[in-house]
Amino acid sequence: MANFNIDATQQRTFQAIVIGSGLSGSWAAKELCEHGVKTLVIERGREVKHLHDYPTTNMLPFEFEHRGQLTKQIEEENPVVSKCYAFREDAMHFFVKDKEHPYIQEKPFDWIRGYQVGGKSLLWARQVQRWSDFDFEGPARDGFAIDWPIRYNDIAPWYSHVEKFAGVSGNKDGLPNLPDGEFLPGFELNIVEKYFQEQLKKHYGDSRHMILARCAHITGNLEYYKQQGRLQCQSRNLCQRGCPFGGYFSANASTLPWAERTGNLTMRTDAVVHSIIYDEAKGKATGVRMVDANTKQTEEYFADVIFVNAAALNTNLILLNSTSNRFPNGLGNDNGLLGKYVAFHNYRAGISAEYEGFADYTTQGGRPTSGYFPRFRNLHKQETDFLRGYAAGFSAGKYNYADQSGIGLSLKEQLLNPSKYGNWTVGSHMMGETIPKESNLVTLSKNEKDAWGIPLLSVHVEYDDNDEKMVKDYQEQMTEMFEKAGFTNIRVRDDHRAPGLDIHEMGGVRMGKDPKTSLLNKNHQLHACANVYVTDGACMTSTSTQNPSLTYMAFAARAAHHAMKNQRWGKI
Amino acid sequence: MQRREALKSLAVLTGGAILVPSCNFEKEEILAAYSNLKVTPAQQSLLAQIADTIIPPGKLKGAQDLAIQDFILVMVNDCVAQTGQTQFTIGLQAFNSFSKKKGGKNFSKLESTAKEKVIAEGLSIGAETTDENQKAVREFLSITKRFTIQGFMMSQYIMTEIKPYSLIPGSYNGEVLISSISNMKIDG
Repeated sequence: MANFNIDATQQRTFQAIVIGSGLSGSWAAKELCEHGVKTLVIERGREVKHLHDYPTTNMLPFEFEHRGQLTKQIEEENPVVSKCYAFREDAMHFFVKDKEHPYIQEKPFDWIRGYQVGGKSLLWARQVQRWSDFDFEGPARDGFAIDWPIRYNDIAPWYSHVEKFAGVSGNKDGLPNLPDGEFLPGFELNIVEKYFQEQLKKHYGDSRHMILARCAHITGNLEYYKQQGRLQCQSRNLCQRGCPFGGYFSANASTLPWAERTGNLTMRTDAVVHSIIYDEAKGKATGVRMVDANTKQTEEYFADVIFVNAAALNTNLILLNSTSNRFPNGLGNDNGLLGKYVAFHNYRAGISAEYEGFADYTTQGGRPTSGYFPRFRNLHKQETDFLRGYAAGFSAGKYNYADQSGIGLSLKEQLLNPSKYGNWTVGSHMMGETIPKESNLVTLSKNEKDAWGIPLLSVHVEYDDNDEKMVKDYQEQMTEMFEKAGFTNIRVRDDHRAPGLDIHEMGGVRMGKDPKTSLLNKNHQLHACANVYVTDGACMTSTSTQNPSLTYMAFAARAAHHAMKNQRWGKI
Repeated sequence: MQRREALKSLAVLTGGAILVPSCNFEKEEILAAYSNLKVTPAQQSLLAQIADTIIPPGKLKGAQDLAIQDFILVMVNDCVAQTGQTQFTIGLQAFNSFSKKKGGKNFSKLESTAKEKVIAEGLSIGAETTDENQKAVREFLSITKRFTIQGFMMSQYIMTEIKPYSLIPGSYNGEVLISSISNMKIDG
């Protein structure tokens, strides 16, 4: 028996464990495996194999019973996830249903989750904008949160590393606040978007820009991506179903199969992490305790280094639940700040309008991206009565409508021969920076547990006065810019959505220089437990305005290399 | 989904008709597939004629050729809120008496131009009407028209044979002269 136990323990011992197989976790796994590190990836959800497990990817519209629409029953059973734009008949199998994984909303919070191999990398909007020092220096300059322990130069080479492998399409725009990267050819802005670009130049000089958003799609260097089994993006715009071409970056299409090919990856799916095991005598974490999602049996796995990439709030949950004599309030939580300073992106406001110009023109084909406004508010200096600012999406489109009046053969012919070209429609939505606060936090429920015996997460996150002012400013500024461009029928909105629906929740395990005010050091190690790394959204000290996934991926790659150097592993 | 799959298999076993008795055995049986609506086979056939009047056969197939009535019932049963379902059901039940009032006969007995006229009148019932049945007829017809259009345009027939849908729409061109797009007229 003794030998059997030793063998069993050896079989469950790896050099590194990565918790979570999504965007950031798969990047840690890829870097580690590629350099010879025996790595276990633990995923709480089911296996989703690239190409094999995309059941709807090649379905035609009429093959969906409800033509893509959600049924009332599904909407009623899922009031939270039904609000997500991508939760539709073609992709709902990749989202967590409300009842499956309850959580507590102390304040309204729409927590959108994807529990499967690849996580939300199958579902993301694929927008990848770099941060600059205008972002990393924000908290120090403007006096909120704490100073980031890193600057753009620390992360720039890792942005390049990630962009090259993932494949990023974009233009070199030469903007200091949105640095250029390793770009494949960009998609095209349309004639009205280009017109708006020129109008901004005319009215605002160099102070406001609208550019083509950079997106994680393959548009060139095709031989290189063939090594990953990925092909050029075909502009299907059906990304949320999983891409049969591997045209956009997902963990399933890219990093995970790459890691698997090294022979160093072990994947354990359907395994819900309960906590990280801390060994007081050794003064470090030694492994991970998990519960089999189906059998509910507890198992333990061991490793020298542990990466926590469970997605921002679940990373908080795991650390809070990792209690020991040394850490009674959660792993690494000596200062009591674990779970606090959670922030997100404010997506409440939008604007739409029409443009009567270029009436003779339209567009053809598909495009998986749109225009993008890098932040211009408070960029060089404080200029408003609120802190920070917002980025924004922008796009213009032209639609050919069919006249649906009447009935009979005339209606039939109208439908088959659409001929009502409307004006161009233009629209934008805001992506506002929110200020991390101690009062925006997640905690563990004292009484309620999930089906695996793990405390439910309780979320207390809300908007503040700064956010309200920013919504107003976005509406005013966009209206002004739209008016100057000659757009008409301008309508602003504030949908008062709850935080969370942005799916950019961040923080709770923030980085910083001082162990008294932060949880992680500049290398993403817990100050108080250095063999545990956090490189997903939980590590964010501030949110800035850019879609954050690219930064998480770069952080994960950088931290993996730090761990390998530290452990003297691999062929670094 | 599973429920419908099960019913489909049952339909194969029983030769197509899936009927369950309603509570009152004296009444006509209802179609089990649309449990929220309590629709009888006779009403299903009436709905088919209404849809076929909205989009009739001509050079191309019409709504009934494509069994659009079944699509309408699926959508109303599964995707329409309860208030809409109630209006739909009441309107469908009241439709033949509406037809008698406006056209002098049950709907199926009318000539096609008279059919069109009855539906057009139903769709144009004013918002100010206080007659609950009239209101329901208008709601029923407007829901039916909406799903007839959707069901027709998103049918396999239209999307493969008439206006083929492509999963790969081709690369983006953001500056296309409308006059350069060839517009072959499709006769209905």
